[in-house]
Amino acid sequence: MSTGPRRAERGLPGMIRLAWRSLWRQRRRTALLILVVAYATVSLLFFWGMTDGFLTSIYQSQARLLGAPVQIATTAYHADPDPVHALPELGPLKASARSLAAVAGVAARVDVPALLRSPYTSTGVQLRGVEPDAEARVSDVPGAIGEGRMVATTGELVLGEALAERLDVRVGERLAVDAASVAGPSALGLRVVGLVTSGVELVDETTALAHIDDARALAGIDTATSLALAVPVGREGAVARALQDGLPGGVRAYPVEEQMGELASGLATERVGTAVMGLVFSLFAAVAVTSSVVVSVMERTREFGVMLALGMSHRRLATMVTLEAVIASLLGYAVGVAIGYALLFWMAEVNVLGPFFTNLWGDLFTSLALRADIRTDVRLEYLAYAGGTVVLAALGAILTPARRVHTLVPADAMRAAD
Amino acid sequence: MALAGTVLAQGAGEARDEVPTDADAILDRMVENLRGGGQRAILTMRVERDGDVREYRLEVISDGTERSLTRVAWPPRDAGQAFLVDGDELFVYSPRLGRSLRLPPSGRSDGFLGSDLSYDDMAGDEVRDDYDADVAERDEDTVTLSLTPHPTAPTPYGELRFTASLPDLAPLELEYVDQRGEAVKRLTFSEVHELASGARVPTRFEVVDLTADGGRTIAEWTDVEFGVEPPDRCFTQQALERGCDW
Repeated sequence: MSTGPRRAERGLPGMIRLAWRSLWRQRRRTALLILVVAYATVSLLFFWGMTDGFLTSIYQSQARLLGAPVQIATTAYHADPDPVHALPELGPLKASARSLAAVAGVAARVDVPALLRSPYTSTGVQLRGVEPDAEARVSDVPGAIGEGRMVATTGELVLGEALAERLDVRVGERLAVDAASVAGPSALGLRVVGLVTSGVELVDETTALAHIDDARALAGIDTATSLALAVPVGREGAVARALQDGLPGGVRAYPVEEQMGELASGLATERVGTAVMGLVFSLFAAVAVTSSVVVSVMERTREFGVMLALGMSHRRLATMVTLEAVIASLLGYAVGVAIGYALLFWMAEVNVLGPFFTNLWGDLFTSLALRADIRTDVRLEYLAYAGGTVVLAALGAILTPARRVHTLVPADAMRAAD
Repeated sequence: MALAGTVLAQGAGEARDEVPTDADAILDRMVENLRGGGQRAILTMRVERDGDVREYRLEVISDGTERSLTRVAWPPRDAGQAFLVDGDELFVYSPRLGRSLRLPPSGRSDGFLGSDLSYDDMAGDEVRDDYDADVAERDEDTVTLSLTPHPTAPTPYGELRFTASLPDLAPLELEYVDQRGEAVKRLTFSEVHELASGARVPTRFEVVDLTADGGRTIAEWTDVEFGVEPPDRCFTQQALERGCDW
């Protein structure tokens, strides 16, 4: 009559219950194991969230402050950014870009190398002619104007604050702008109407925005050197690919990574290096968890000897130890995921990393046009990264102690010191 | 023929004694006097900056309108370097590189050979094309024009103050004023040479940079031959690189 319940007691559910009870008999040891796994999980989530957040910040800065999330330009201009390689008629290109739902804004630009002259000094810049209303949809620069206002009509100029300081020019004063146009030398006088104070050194030192019609006159072209497209973060590549089929020959859509040239390939290499570092980090975490379980098993040698002496088979004992490790690891993983994602969500909302990294790597920030605002990325794939590490740890925790339990002799085990 | 030439020159001189009242007409006469028409000359230039003094001897050929060829004859270190102005275009030839380069339009307003003197200073085109003229001061001996830039004129200055002697309207001083009312550069003209046409051309320019780190440049025309008509071949790339044997 008691065969059913006894079989159930011997089956997996019974073993799980046994392992569960055994875990909570050793509360301190179990808590330690959960803590180690949780710590490893939180560390891995934070590591990847921070790494990806840092890279995302770089891409976003490049896209929203220097280039564009997606840029449409001729292949010739991409290879040699000279206004002579300007785009053909803009109407069909704009219509093609706007036909995609993911494209939130389209702005034509004319980038032309120019020399700015004040009464005191002169300096070379890459002058950007923009459509004033459309530019704010594709760039954060118009929103970073601290003094004055954005260019509204021809004859006006917006400068980065540091550039204006270098030229010793103030809002309301005029600069002479010289360029070598497609048709020959050209020059204009433009009045400064606003200063950009983005807090990004590279932007504040190099920004020079004019009305697109002035830039066209300086460059000697009728269209634009590029179209800048606003698309959601992370969709740049997909949008560029989707656009490509509708573009005429010799014209391409470039996601931000492709606009960055060597910097993008450098960052890709950096990502590979980071992945290797992450793998090493995962291995260390796995070893830490495994060693915690091994120590735990070694401390319980006498207890296991008693259990074997009372008739428990080696196999059931090994199963119980394994289940203990699995349950503790899963609990630790769950706790780690909860804490880790809470941390990532918080750091995605609050700029904790920006000031820290600015102090640490100020020069690097300057060269990458990074703002002092770095948020963590929150991605579901981190569950797999951390989960893989926990599985690795659990495997280590299962194999080594279980094999040890298999070889225990009850009499010797009971004599072992605690 | 010689008599006819003299009579013509006298006629021109008499016409020039009548000082126009219109500011634009005064400015035209001042610029004509500044340019001096077609010429071939040796220009000695002394550049003083940061306690350092450098001297150059330049050979200049100009058609008096929009073209000029300037070649460095001395010192030996810079000899052979040449500049060709052709309208808005400015080219420079470097004998060390063995090639000529087209400079951006700003090259016309930048001082050449590290001096404070620019092609625009010598040509006067800029003051006539980009500014509105008003008579600011006038007495028996001098007239001063206030030149304010057109709204989109490619100049960083707020005002130019151009002074000439009366009644000949020979340029005396050109002061560049920034947009805060401070003078930042001053050209003083002297050693006026009177041409047969009645034009009175200054042959000594002194340029003083009035900003904090400013320097001084003195340019003097010697061995000047005015009233010449240089051939077109003197204003070509070939002439820039090999000189114009004329």
